[in-house]
Amino acid sequence: MEQYSKEFTIQRNDIGNAGTVSSLTKRELKKKGLSREFVKTVTIGVYEAEINVVIHSYGGTALLEITDDFVQITFKDTGPGIENIENAMTAGFSTASSYAIENGFGAGMGLPNIKAVSNEMDLTSSKAGTVLRIRFNICSDCYES
Amino acid sequence: MKVRDILQSSDFHLISNESGLDKETKGIFSSDLLSHVMGVAGEDNILITVLNNINVLGVASLLDFSCVIFPHNVKVNESIIDKANELEIALISTKLSTAKAVLRLYELGVQD
Repeated sequence: MEQYSKEFTIQRNDIGNAGTVSSLTKRELKKKGLSREFVKTVTIGVYEAEINVVIHSYGGTALLEITDDFVQITFKDTGPGIENIENAMTAGFSTASSYAIENGFGAGMGLPNIKAVSNEMDLTSSKAGTVLRIRFNICSDCYES
Repeated sequence: MKVRDILQSSDFHLISNESGLDKETKGIFSSDLLSHVMGVAGEDNILITVLNNINVLGVASLLDFSCVIFPHNVKVNESIIDKANELEIALISTKLSTAKAVLRLYELGVQD
């Protein structure tokens, strides 16, 4: 099985570079011949998660893995953690800073959007950090016809 | 309808270079919250927003928007314009409000 993997570092509040992980993911998926719709779905999930690390955490990493069967991205940050995951999963709930809001983020739609577009989503969090794994299954219909 | 057709109206002015003008446009989306844009907007949409930071281009590029229109004569700095040229995303400025820009685009033929 063909497998691609790449790890990225994400810096806290580095809004200018937010989108690097999602852009590269998009490029790799297009290279594989996956459909525009599938690529868009994955891109939305990855971008939202990437932004979350930038605006909410002290920084962290993203591991992108692409096989013939799935695309998986695992985001790990170094804190401060999500106080209440249930609240964070509620559309419209936000703890974003004014800095994030001025930059167009913090609508409280990030995690709900990720859940809506992905096939699997695991989220664990403590003060030491948050781990978010999202997976998108690649099916035969996901390719450009 | 192509992006360049929007410029036939004197209400809209191109502020980037011409590299993105031949993209097809399909529908209009307006919001100043990027997560909302990410979740709802569709490919080839025209995005109308007062947000004038680099992330707008990130989202526009990721979602394959046809162009970005800044209403109310919102000022856009050179670094954003340079990045848009690199990404081949047309940036258009208008003195119209968001609502009036949508109406004007509708009159021009952007109707779905």
